[in-house]
Amino acid sequence: MSQLGTKKAEVDLPVRTKYEESRRQKTGVFFKKKVGWLFVIVSVIAITIFNFYPMVQAFLLSFQSGMGANLEYVGLDNWRRLFGDPTFIAALTNTTIYLLIQVPLMIILALFFSVLLNDPKLKFKSFFRIAIFLPCVTSLVAYSVVFKYLFGIDGIVNQFLLNFGFISETVNFLADPFWAKVVIILAITWRWTGYNMIFYLAALQNVDKSIYEAARIDGASSFQQFFQITVPMLKPIILFTSITSTIGTLQIFDEIVNITNGGPGNATISISQYIYNLSFEYSPDFGYASTVSYVIVILVVILSIIQFRVAGEKK
Amino acid sequence: MKKFNLMFLAAASMAALAACSSGDEEASGGSGSEGSADVDEITAWAWDPAFNIAALENAKEAYNGDGDYEVNIIENAQDDIIQKLNTGLSSGTTNGMPNIVLIEDYRAQSFLQAYPDAFHPLTDVINAEDFADYKIATTSFEDEQYGLPFDSGVAALYVRTDYLEEAGYSVEDVTDITWQEYIEIGKDVKEATGKNMLTLDPNDLAQVRMMIQTNGSWYVEEDGSTPNIAGNETLEKGFETYKELMDADIAKIVSDWSQFVGAFNSGDVASVPTGNWITPSVKQAADQSGNWAVVPMPRLDMEGAVNASNLGGSSWYVLNVDGKEQAADFLLNTFGSNPDLYQTLVEDIGALGTYSPAAEGDAYAVEDEFFGGQQLLSDLSTWTDEIPAVNYGLHTYAIEDILVTGMQDYLNGAELDTVLENVQGQAEAQLK
Repeated sequence: MSQLGTKKAEVDLPVRTKYEESRRQKTGVFFKKKVGWLFVIVSVIAITIFNFYPMVQAFLLSFQSGMGANLEYVGLDNWRRLFGDPTFIAALTNTTIYLLIQVPLMIILALFFSVLLNDPKLKFKSFFRIAIFLPCVTSLVAYSVVFKYLFGIDGIVNQFLLNFGFISETVNFLADPFWAKVVIILAITWRWTGYNMIFYLAALQNVDKSIYEAARIDGASSFQQFFQITVPMLKPIILFTSITSTIGTLQIFDEIVNITNGGPGNATISISQYIYNLSFEYSPDFGYASTVSYVIVILVVILSIIQFRVAGEKK
Repeated sequence: MKKFNLMFLAAASMAALAACSSGDEEASGGSGSEGSADVDEITAWAWDPAFNIAALENAKEAYNGDGDYEVNIIENAQDDIIQKLNTGLSSGTTNGMPNIVLIEDYRAQSFLQAYPDAFHPLTDVINAEDFADYKIATTSFEDEQYGLPFDSGVAALYVRTDYLEEAGYSVEDVTDITWQEYIEIGKDVKEATGKNMLTLDPNDLAQVRMMIQTNGSWYVEEDGSTPNIAGNETLEKGFETYKELMDADIAKIVSDWSQFVGAFNSGDVASVPTGNWITPSVKQAADQSGNWAVVPMPRLDMEGAVNASNLGGSSWYVLNVDGKEQAADFLLNTFGSNPDLYQTLVEDIGALGTYSPAAEGDAYAVEDEFFGGQQLLSDLSTWTDEIPAVNYGLHTYAIEDILVTGMQDYLNGAELDTVLENVQGQAEAQLK
């Protein structure tokens, strides 16, 4: 910034004395810094009040327990309670399963679609792009309810499977611990693949076509081109999408509540739903609920560090 | 210069913030200190436009006291009301809180205990003896009456008389029976008509809840907080009966409300054992008029169990904020002492209250053609008075979520004693 200012001063006012120039430069820098702070301070204050302050409060809250307004400090009791709490362990296991299966599945699908759609010879390109991106603009609750009915006992999936003879009697997908998880994973993948695909498509526009041309001349197959050029070029974007998807999946709530409501039993309950239950469904214990919330924070931090280490640029 | 500017900015913003917060404090401080402020508008929250909101509208018209204030009725989803109350009351601000709020009976104790000073006692305002006994246990706390009991959740068995006839049974055969007798009849009905006897949702233990209340038992002990699972004979019997229902293959499995309603509207099941608030949904299928009858809920096959139970139901509460006198006055002069209001509630919206003097009115004696000319409301209010009173306590839904998992294990072949002991252990660990 200051360099630019200096240049400009030189061009516009070549006859100024050195003293005047340096003085002007100094005030210019100072003025710009001040204006910069003015712009920033609003959001800094807002973020401090609405983000950092609640985070600190929630952290303090995670050491308290009690019903509703009758909270008292209990030290590490909440954290001890976590490890012996079967519902929390079920929620953590389920969320981990969603994460381990759904995020890689979705990232690979999104990459696959984006490379297909980036093919210059493809007809009706924008139609396909819109078709795949469209799920992303539907409301979380609306699409969850649609999935719930698709996979209901009288739903279209059952009808389809019956008519084509894949099954002999209707399967109650949502009442089966295994299939209920499958439905949830299918639903999230359907909803978010297009969203991630858009990032890859955008990044692919920035990859120089001549690299592929050179590769083709050297006799590289499409597979080699994909793994040796496309994937490395998209690495930062893959990192970004996998981190945002990981965070998103760790916080999954709407789909679970609307499709299975955590059931059957606790077979699909997620951490976020457990937090909601602890605060509003059962007798409110905001202290323990915020302990569970902090588990998500810790998980996000750890997983992000791992992802940076594994895929990140080495600096 | 630079530092000064920054500090000035920071100071200015702090001052602005401080101004905001001190303003708030003054406002809320004012509401706390003045006992009987003159309020000309009170707000009431409820959730169902066809039911409790409509009841409030009726109450507003029927008000016969001499207070001079406006009643502002606001519809919020029940989940939203719970969230708003919890967040509002726990943060200690009364801004935006209503004066009157409807709370489901299963949740009432947890609100009353979690926010001890947030509710205004109605002990001296209403006459608790005018209301059904079982409602008083759930709406009072530490010798104070906080809730004004509203709708009855009296459970009943809705039966298809035509299906029963086909299987060779009459309405008398299903009246005042045990669940075991019910299962036998169910098998015969299924054989004769091919229809299932009822719907069950394995994720919702409402059936078990209704079963155990027929014998005056609950998930928690009298104190309302100690889990009463392991060694609770009534609950054991309830679990066994539930499994028998499943094993007898007379239940259609559903997983949500619309499948539940769809099943009896389309004639897929021969009976519906549930709360009386289902009446409007049963009547939706106008072509089934005359084919239904309502009989008392089956009881558990145990000494002391009665053919009366409850599912759901809610009561009115007054929050301890400005306008509480007006709110109490409004409730007293409507739901608290006005039998005529209950007649209109029954006639206009089919809402069955728990105010005993109202049951003598004409509207309760009306014969319902849909149910073959049965005096449905008068029957239901008779059964309401027989519901065993239990303290629902603080943890109905928390324990039920653990029980649901236990029920899955039990249905899959686990030993009942072990299952219930596990649930007991988990509940004790979770509900300290």
